Amino acid sequence: MSRPTSRPALVGALLKKELKAYSRDKIYLFLTLLVLIAIPVAYTFLPTTVSETITLAVSPPVTSMIDDAKDSLRAMGATDEQLAELDNADLSQQQEGLQLIEFDNEADMQRVIEGTLEAWRTDDGELTLRDKEAGEDEPEGAEKLGLDIGIAFPKDFITDVAAGKSGVTVTVYSDANVPEEIQGAMTSFVREAAYQLAGRQLPVNMADEQSIILGTDRVGDQVTLKDKLRPMLLFMVLLMETFSMASLVSTEVLQRTVTAVLVTPVKIGDFLLAKTIFGTFMSLGQGLLVLFLVGGLTVQNWSLVLTVLFMGSVMFTGLALYVGASGKDFMGQLFYTMLFTIPLLIPAFSVMFPGSAAVWVRAIPTYPIIDTLVGAFNYGATWSSSAGSLAYAAAWLVLLFGAGLFALKRKVETL
Amino acid sequence: MSPKLTWKVLRKDLALGPRSPIFLWAIVLPFALTLILQFTFGSLFNPEPRLGIVDGGDSEITAQVEDMKGISLTLLDDAEELKSNVEANDLDAGLILPAGFDQAVKDGERPELQFYISGESYASNRIILSVTAIDLVRGLEGSKAPVTVDVVSYGTAGLPISVRLTPVIVFYALVMAGIFVTGSNLVEEKEQGTFMAMLVTPARIGDILAAKWMLGTLLASVLAAATLVLNQALGSNWLQVFVVVAVAAGLSSMIGLLMGTFAKDSTIMFGLVKGLGIFLFAPTLFYIFPQWPQWIAKLFPLYWILEPIWRVSILGGSISEVWVELVVAVGITVALVPVIGLVARRVQAQMASAG
Repeated sequence: MSRPTSRPALVGALLKKELKAYSRDKIYLFLTLLVLIAIPVAYTFLPTTVSETITLAVSPPVTSMIDDAKDSLRAMGATDEQLAELDNADLSQQQEGLQLIEFDNEADMQRVIEGTLEAWRTDDGELTLRDKEAGEDEPEGAEKLGLDIGIAFPKDFITDVAAGKSGVTVTVYSDANVPEEIQGAMTSFVREAAYQLAGRQLPVNMADEQSIILGTDRVGDQVTLKDKLRPMLLFMVLLMETFSMASLVSTEVLQRTVTAVLVTPVKIGDFLLAKTIFGTFMSLGQGLLVLFLVGGLTVQNWSLVLTVLFMGSVMFTGLALYVGASGKDFMGQLFYTMLFTIPLLIPAFSVMFPGSAAVWVRAIPTYPIIDTLVGAFNYGATWSSSAGSLAYAAAWLVLLFGAGLFALKRKVETL
Repeated sequence: MSPKLTWKVLRKDLALGPRSPIFLWAIVLPFALTLILQFTFGSLFNPEPRLGIVDGGDSEITAQVEDMKGISLTLLDDAEELKSNVEANDLDAGLILPAGFDQAVKDGERPELQFYISGESYASNRIILSVTAIDLVRGLEGSKAPVTVDVVSYGTAGLPISVRLTPVIVFYALVMAGIFVTGSNLVEEKEQGTFMAMLVTPARIGDILAAKWMLGTLLASVLAAATLVLNQALGSNWLQVFVVVAVAAGLSSMIGLLMGTFAKDSTIMFGLVKGLGIFLFAPTLFYIFPQWPQWIAKLFPLYWILEPIWRVSILGGSISEVWVELVVAVGITVALVPVIGLVARRVQAQMASAG
């Protein structure tokens, strides 16, 4: 006696079986939970700002140098217009990429750079010095400054340079850990300031700043590490599911339970469909959970992000079917899966580097997935601007998923 | 225990071991990590401003930038390619030096300086590259600068990130070869029933475990030493390096043996390594971040083997500097022997009753 059973009911029964097997696989269940907890927790600690400023100590304060120089220069015959130029050249005013901390006393600045004195700045911008060795307390409501390079100008620097006096020397104090390019740039900076004060114009013509900046100017609006890592973490959650899905498939092949399933009304198509639905659901479900926890969806990007996450889930499910079809034991399966997943992880790491990915990285099947996610989350990518990547991802998806289905189908048929 | 039987088991493991994927991964991992961490990700931790130059006429500027430390220089042939690289932020800035540029500056013709900055480059990199480029152009004039700049440096420069990452790679070589290979080898024997089969021969459990420990120690020693060579961290005092590496391999292999003895199957073995991973890995972080309080690293067992490798091999010190660490490492290794013996006897009893 047999009861007619619909295909959806059969697939539903298989899905129930998958869920039960998944919950019994303690090691992957543990690792899945670990990833789902660890990733959002780690994400909260990532830096939300980008440090793109060089902090430079200067002694004496630039304004006092200028004020002192004005009288001498006037006596030397400088006009009011020429003196006004000095005010325009005041370095203490906000400069992109350079933060000046001004010291009245060169010796104090020297000690701060040397590390025997601490510099703190209060909320109202006042500089406070603390001698830790002498047992002085930390100033309240102040922030400790990390100063490791400073310029000590001689008191009459401006006047002497403007007058063409020889033997003018400026000292750059630097911690040995300051990168050479910064030490070199600060030396160049002092020399150029002196050239300007001496009235020696640049030996070249330079275009205005706006015309030499290529691409969107992101100074002060750089993509933070937190934003950069969001797509990468989501991608890794999708990819991690490949291990557990491949393990489930592999166990089924190894223990030949699939042959038992196929003597029931279940056809091989139902079996493959159930595996696909389960793998995609598990991968996408975890991706969505992490997405909910780390945020980043906007009115503009939600449809694109969700579509790409779905494509990634299907792609990794296909990979899991392919890898799992080999039917290896736990360790064999683990390392076999790693063989495929490690190369697929490379594009995810490329997002941490500035600039475009290398050609060989772009050729990896997962590149269009991570590229579209990065674009959607961080650069305002739209459906039309991502069309190329989506088409490329779709082509890889068809190929990988097709390979997975084919490999598993053939394996099951030969059991 | 019989050395002859131990040698027979070891010889079998050496012959069959390379067929295991874990064995192969243990061999590949140090090479892969060196490639990834040193050559690919090294620049992530220590980014240098990236300048591209299209030089149409052997400019002195190009030669000077080539000699500069701290600026990553890319020479390109085509101005449009340079602009596209700058726009894509593959370069922080680009400089186009047409033929005759140097002479035009020397002749006071004030040629146009074709200098481009990437919109995505950091403000600090823009300052460094702009100021440096202008200073180099000034240098072409040949006149004396109106100021002399003295640089006074304090302290000693820290080690570059490429050196500080070496303990991480050595750690993985030791963990994969010493802990994972040793433990998995034993667990696989238990799973496949060959462990029981060996016990019905004259070989005793001590002979088998000693052979597994030797296998792990040998493989971990070779791979840790290879890692040091790959990372150019094997000093001239190679005999002393060999001693610290052997002690490290011995302890890691003993930990692997303990895990392998304890674990019933591969899943538990994998879970143990994964679960204890952060505990084992923790001391390597203190080499990457030397500003952290270093005493914390001493709380972790692998500190006692990484520190001698760090001081003797990577920093080129003497073995006498690390005798305390070596004694502690050997002490932990020896202390684990009775623990493993106890666990092994229990496992043997369980297997016997199950059989």
